[in-house]
Amino acid sequence: MYRYAHRLCGEDEAAKDLVQETFLNAYRGLRQFRGDAKISTWLYTIASRACLRMRRKRKGAPERELSLEEFVPSSEGEFRLQIPIDGLTPQQALENKELREALEQAINKLPKKYRMALVLRDMEGLSAGEAGGIMGLSERTLKTRLHRARLFVRRELSALGMAHTDRHVHEGWRPKETGS
Amino acid sequence: MTRKKAHEHGEQRCLNILRQLSAYIDDELPEDICAELRRHLGACPNCEVFIASLRDTVKLCRQHEPPPLSAHDRARLRQEILRAWKPEARA
Repeated sequence: MYRYAHRLCGEDEAAKDLVQETFLNAYRGLRQFRGDAKISTWLYTIASRACLRMRRKRKGAPERELSLEEFVPSSEGEFRLQIPIDGLTPQQALENKELREALEQAINKLPKKYRMALVLRDMEGLSAGEAGGIMGLSERTLKTRLHRARLFVRRELSALGMAHTDRHVHEGWRPKETGS
Repeated sequence: MTRKKAHEHGEQRCLNILRQLSAYIDDELPEDICAELRRHLGACPNCEVFIASLRDTVKLCRQHEPPPLSAHDRARLRQEILRAWKPEARA
């Protein structure tokens, strides 16, 4: 639960608060749990709702809709931007502090409803149906949000790749040749 | 300055392709649409590079692990939850 909370909140203290809130709400609602869903799904749902409430209180980043149009590359160079993980496995690439932080920042910059879709599906590994159920969305809507969230993160990370192409290489981490 | 044409096909075609990329990499598209997209990707290096970077993005998200909670913090969090819960349980 802490792992999920940290992925949603992006920071230690907020994640601990969310875990506490989740378990208190779970204890309070235990009698209503009928066992129709897996207990993990039930806890994810409680945590997700608590997260939305906490973020509203904290007045986090303003919410906005992500449109597909904003992700259409407007130049050949933008099309060919790549994530700088050439020759490395994702695990090895994430050992690079700069890339890891860029990924975390990109996820934290996502409006929360998009971030939650990405975290549940791509980070927690739930199915689109399960993630949609937790967020109270149809599978189709969940997939739309997930797709835009991925495009957003891809754009943020490939901008990092571009910075590296300009600056040249980082030790043990060479950006791919874009060929453009 | 004249802007170079970004891509061989028009923006509407790009949007249609872009809309389907997650379903494509998640293997959720019907075979006929998938085959059409594969044909396009084979003929369009820009789209091929784009989809590779989207795949990399998903792989990185899947592998990313937040810092673990230390044993000390885990014990403290547990105590805090129980402390907060006890007055409610007694009420």
